[in-house]
Amino acid sequence: MSIFGHRRFRWVGNVVRVDLPADDQDLLRTVLPQLREMLMAADDPALHRLSPPTRPDDDEAEAAYRDMVDDDLLIQRLEAIEVVEQGIDGIDLDETGITAWMQSLNALRLVLAARLDIDILGHDPIEDLDDEDPLMPIAALYEWLGFLLGSLVDEAMNGFDD
Amino acid sequence: MTAPVATPDVNVDESVSLDHPWKVVVWDDPVNLMTYVTFVFRKLFGFSKAKADQLMMQVHVEGRAVVSSGSKEKTEFDVFRLHGHGLWATLEQDA
Repeated sequence: MSIFGHRRFRWVGNVVRVDLPADDQDLLRTVLPQLREMLMAADDPALHRLSPPTRPDDDEAEAAYRDMVDDDLLIQRLEAIEVVEQGIDGIDLDETGITAWMQSLNALRLVLAARLDIDILGHDPIEDLDDEDPLMPIAALYEWLGFLLGSLVDEAMNGFDD
Repeated sequence: MTAPVATPDVNVDESVSLDHPWKVVVWDDPVNLMTYVTFVFRKLFGFSKAKADQLMMQVHVEGRAVVSSGSKEKTEFDVFRLHGHGLWATLEQDA
């Protein structure tokens, strides 16, 4: 069975059970601490996409909004990373857990997209890179995270009533 | 002169504000998965699958869609939640 055939997320009663292959677990253990470090250092331009301007037309209003929410956003993101780290080797996710996993996987994708300069709609990082390109491992990681998040979203979507 | 009105025919709800209404706009981006955007709309705003899909497609095709509106406080909170989920959202006020 290919690694993409492995069923990583599935509903069991009213929780989503996480069952990741060992390679997935290793990757998450590597990248999540890096995301935490970036968030806490707060000086990497790749983070810009996580907190885009809310009021691009009004600098003063934007600054006031950032003062109000930035600490809360940071705390929420750090807590979400911790929830994922605690469940990498297997866990049952309730709604809060599902949210934490989605937020963390998506934050990783957004940061990697900035690294890959994915700012043009329709740009495909893997197709556009040479095999020898030093960015290729990042592109592969980005694609894998997309697969992982997509798998969780597809399964979680079945939890809605209609 | 205006005719007297016996009973004002208005449904007052908590989202009514004397301010010009604020709107939350979600913008297209090349990173967020379409299914993820639909999921976030359903979860945060309680939309049906059809409504969430329609708004997601509007973002995808037209580049942007208004996903909520109301008071400044309500729309700021919605933007906060959308940013927490990694969506690209901004606030606009009707002129």
